[in-house]
Amino acid sequence: MRARDVAELKVEQRLPPFPDLASHESIRERVHGIMVGELQAMEGAGRTVYDFPDAPWEFTMDMARQVWDESRHVETYLGLLEHLGGRVGEFPESTILWRCACAEDAAARVAGVNRGLEGLACDVFNQLIHIAQKIGDPIIEKSVDYVLADEITHVRMGSRWLNELTRGDPERRRKAIEFQETIDERFNLGGTRQDGHHEAVPISIAKQARKLGGFTDEEIERLVKSTQRSQVY
Amino acid sequence: MSSERLVGHLSVDDSARRLRNYRYAEERLMRVLGGWIALTPELPAKLLFGRHVWDCAQHADAWGRRLPELRAPAQTSEPANDAMIAFMQLLESPERPQQTLERIAGAYGVLKSHLVTVYARHLVSTNPVYEPPTRRILARCLEEERRHAAAGAVVLDRLIRDDHGRERVATWQRSLLAALEKAGGVTGDSAVPLVDPALLGVAPEVVVPDLVAVPPDFDPAALPADLAGAADAHRRALERGDAAGAAGWTETTARDAVAAAVASLGGRITGTRIVGLAAIGRQQMVKLRLESPRAVAFVQLRWTPTPSGWRIAAGDLVSTEPISAVP
Repeated sequence: MRARDVAELKVEQRLPPFPDLASHESIRERVHGIMVGELQAMEGAGRTVYDFPDAPWEFTMDMARQVWDESRHVETYLGLLEHLGGRVGEFPESTILWRCACAEDAAARVAGVNRGLEGLACDVFNQLIHIAQKIGDPIIEKSVDYVLADEITHVRMGSRWLNELTRGDPERRRKAIEFQETIDERFNLGGTRQDGHHEAVPISIAKQARKLGGFTDEEIERLVKSTQRSQVY
Repeated sequence: MSSERLVGHLSVDDSARRLRNYRYAEERLMRVLGGWIALTPELPAKLLFGRHVWDCAQHADAWGRRLPELRAPAQTSEPANDAMIAFMQLLESPERPQQTLERIAGAYGVLKSHLVTVYARHLVSTNPVYEPPTRRILARCLEEERRHAAAGAVVLDRLIRDDHGRERVATWQRSLLAALEKAGGVTGDSAVPLVDPALLGVAPEVVVPDLVAVPPDFDPAALPADLAGAADAHRRALERGDAAGAAGWTETTARDAVAAAVASLGGRITGTRIVGLAAIGRQQMVKLRLESPRAVAFVQLRWTPTPSGWRIAAGDLVSTEPISAVP
């Protein structure tokens, strides 16, 4: 089901369009969404391993490693869903992450997936860790923190391969970054992702995590600006 | 030291060639498993492939790093012959969502089990004085491929539902083994049997911790009692062919769309089953499986609470397929 349709049906019922983490059920719904997102990330990374046999071997190794990481993330979130009393399929989900992962150029794919989507994961997980600390749930806090560490590694891989695959080809680089920016804009979640402290905004841009992943100050500033002209996906 | 300890079976060049053959198999398998993840609907199989892509990558990498130590270019793969390429193409060919059994049976029951067989035989024949670098890689790959083959067997066993499934697996494995025999195995000169069960040797219970514990299939008991009553009455009306009765559960504005979704089955409904339930706020999306003698359809019905009880507010066809394509 399209995420936009789900969001509209919720708004019609006077509910927030996206889980706001204000209730146990809302946290469960967010965790469910992340679990499905991790599945699609695993599918996407696997597809990248398959689609680019002529890419540098180290690139393939990084993507293969990412597949394994994502499979562990699925397992982690399956466990968290159970921890929260939920079940797989409890909420409708879309395939939007997979569809975004289908760029035909390897450089665009790592820019869009590893820097755009995995960057978004850093923002979302950072916020989930903050909520877990607030409600005193060390199971969520610790598990998600390990997943966040992996995601930063994936962003770093994206930063490295965006540079290496486009070295000497500014046009390819421009297109890859443009693709990433379309993803960044799409996933600002109707203005939910913003610059600011966790207590002040619904999803705070994880600047520190992004810097660890190779984002420059200028790129983070550009992302902050894009959140001010966001769309609901 | 007795000169017997210096006896060897392969020259440096032959050893390098063999390692390139191994690298070809591991690399291709890594890519195939990676590509299959998105094509595979069943969660246990999807996660099985997801776990092993990285191990295959590391095996290919280890073989590729060893090559320069044998006067050969690093990280190069080499199929033993054209028949080996044909075997890999055949292994890769089951791409339809309904072919998960063939995917697991081929990758795990044939290729990984064959790799266990050739790695084990090779390890026994390597020289302990001058080939330890190769032996260490062989020992690691052997141990992991053994576990993979056993894990694949566990998942395959969980997914095979009946004799028809068992027959599909057996038929596919026979075809693949014939193709592999034509190639002479991954090295082009492997002795038969290409898969030696005596060398597999990992009990299923040993690898259960390697597998992701996946949740059980959907249980219709998850439906709230009042919704279950309404959904069951609607299903029974469909099974009776009582269009008016079914329409009575549907809001007027949605009747045409829901009727069209159900009609897509293209025949008399012989059975229905609720296979999913998802919440959208207070509304509930119920996924229904409809069967006719010739086809299976999945429809999504959005139920909404109204003053007169639960009613269907919208309905969509998810998919329909001939009964012969359903596993």
